[in-house]
Amino acid sequence: MTANIQQEKPKGKKPDFSAYPVYTSKLRKEFDGVIAVAGLDLRIGKGVLYGMIGPNGSGKTTAIKVLMGLLRAKSGRARLLGERVPLKKNRRRIGYMPQELAIYSDLTIHENLELYAGLFSMDPETFQKREKELLTMIDLRDRKDSLVSHLSGGMKHRASLACALVHDPELVFLDEPTVGVDPELRAGFWKYFNELKSGGKTIVLTTHYMDEAQKCDIVGMMRLGELIAEGTPQSLMEGAGTSNLEDAFLEYARRGSK
Amino acid sequence: MNSRRVMAVSRKVLQSLRHDKRTAGFLVLMPFFMITIFGYTFGGEMKNVEVYVVNLDEGSPNGTVSDLIIAGLSSRDTLDLRLVNSVDVARQKVADAEAWAAIVFDADFSEGVMTALEMLRQGSPVVPSVVQVYMDATNPNIASAILSELQRSMQIVLVTNYNLVPPITVSQDSVYGEGAEFIDFFAPGVMGLAAMMVTFILSIISFVHERSTGTLDRLLTTPVTEGEIVAGYAIALGFVALIQSTVILVSAILLFQIQIEGSVILALGVILVLGIGMQGTGFLLSSIAKNEFQAIQFLPLILFPSILLAGVFWPLESVPAFLRPISDFIPLTYAVEALRSVMIRGWGLDRVWPDLTILVLFAFAMLALSTYGLKRRR
Repeated sequence: MTANIQQEKPKGKKPDFSAYPVYTSKLRKEFDGVIAVAGLDLRIGKGVLYGMIGPNGSGKTTAIKVLMGLLRAKSGRARLLGERVPLKKNRRRIGYMPQELAIYSDLTIHENLELYAGLFSMDPETFQKREKELLTMIDLRDRKDSLVSHLSGGMKHRASLACALVHDPELVFLDEPTVGVDPELRAGFWKYFNELKSGGKTIVLTTHYMDEAQKCDIVGMMRLGELIAEGTPQSLMEGAGTSNLEDAFLEYARRGSK
Repeated sequence: MNSRRVMAVSRKVLQSLRHDKRTAGFLVLMPFFMITIFGYTFGGEMKNVEVYVVNLDEGSPNGTVSDLIIAGLSSRDTLDLRLVNSVDVARQKVADAEAWAAIVFDADFSEGVMTALEMLRQGSPVVPSVVQVYMDATNPNIASAILSELQRSMQIVLVTNYNLVPPITVSQDSVYGEGAEFIDFFAPGVMGLAAMMVTFILSIISFVHERSTGTLDRLLTTPVTEGEIVAGYAIALGFVALIQSTVILVSAILLFQIQIEGSVILALGVILVLGIGMQGTGFLLSSIAKNEFQAIQFLPLILFPSILLAGVFWPLESVPAFLRPISDFIPLTYAVEALRSVMIRGWGLDRVWPDLTILVLFAFAMLALSTYGLKRRR
């Protein structure tokens, strides 16, 4: 495992952005005065599988949307792969799977993938190979030409994941990629995430499943727009003196609100 | 602007239409039904208008004038004549709305005409002979058709049988639209109307859908730019508008034998520019509609002024003066005018450029505003 799991804040005047595919500093976002993200400082190293956990409304999705340039931060800074957000040139190196799936239900899986391949200017041969690989991973090879509207909820989820990965991005944001996916296939997903990671890809995902969080290199616990704790699953449990991440989260939340 | 990304967006729009067989069928059949229904209702000449004739004329030594007039009327198919003997019966038919008019020749009609002719030859004052017409003038078009048929037939009788040449003759020589029927006048309008309706509906619904399902956001996280998305849609929907216009043109030519004097390519070009502009309008309005239902509410708002004030079925001159400024702001007004000039008058680009320029400016403004509207979201 060559993952660069380095979480302490860089010393010196100029932080080394290149070491951190995801770098934010005091990132803040409000909706009509309601704070959604409250000064988030994220440093996510290359090849890291980073899991964001936290209850609904804790700011996970909003933070990702700000990073993807879909929402404008109120204050603070963010860089992805060294480029300031909102991105221009690095967009082609990043993949994003939104929570709401956002795939065209009036197109087939193949046509959805083809659209993204076109938007990322992939050449047809590379796309063909890539498509086969992804369809195998999401176990939908025989449904390639089915309209998305004819698929089950879990299948749509898998198709949406494939769209985020079609251009072989270096950095991927997956907002709840495993919701509604059955356990067997979820295991397959995680195997694939680990393969991506070994290939030097950085993955940021959100999840509600604590057993999944356990499989991440680094877990960031979010509550009320803040990172209340961050570290390897092991260190988080040790720090809280608990035997599972769920209790650890409750412990950190209790300490935080004191 | 990257053409591959633009084409990826265009292809996606057309693919989803292809999967939706019903919508695809609607896109082709709707213009066909529009032109067919409008064509058969409004188009062509008036035919077989039911009219009762009561001929009480007792004639004169020089012949029976009323018979000649009636023969003249029967030789054409505008009026469908029913001869009866009783004035009351004929008038009752009109009163019961079973006939549009009753034409009555009195007993001394021929005698009166002969006397009048004699006096005319002598140069003395003339007492005209009278034909009575009881008319249901509910439909002014029918009323004027009946009167003009009658006038025409009387003129012919006087000239051919009595060598009486009316002092004034009208020599008709049309600059444009020689032999044109009403359908030739409104077919260009229907083409424009169909193109604008469909591009507007498809664009506003697609974009409301793109916004509400999150696909638009997702597109914006890829390297595709706002301008490329707008351009991709414009190309796809412009293509749809062209197909529709072709359906209309072909059906109007086959079913109604409309005449096309100018360049078909130029006419289709006008449609394309209008379609692109309306696509942009739909895009813009999609940002203030929260769902498909709200989007559909814009349709009558756009449609009715366009049908009524853009000169599709009635000439612009018949629009009341205080409403004319609205006509000037409706893009369809310029499209219909340009299409009519090309298709009926046979004008080329050298003469329709002012209308076309306005349409091009409108299309550019809409595309630019759509792009700007998308950029503002980031």
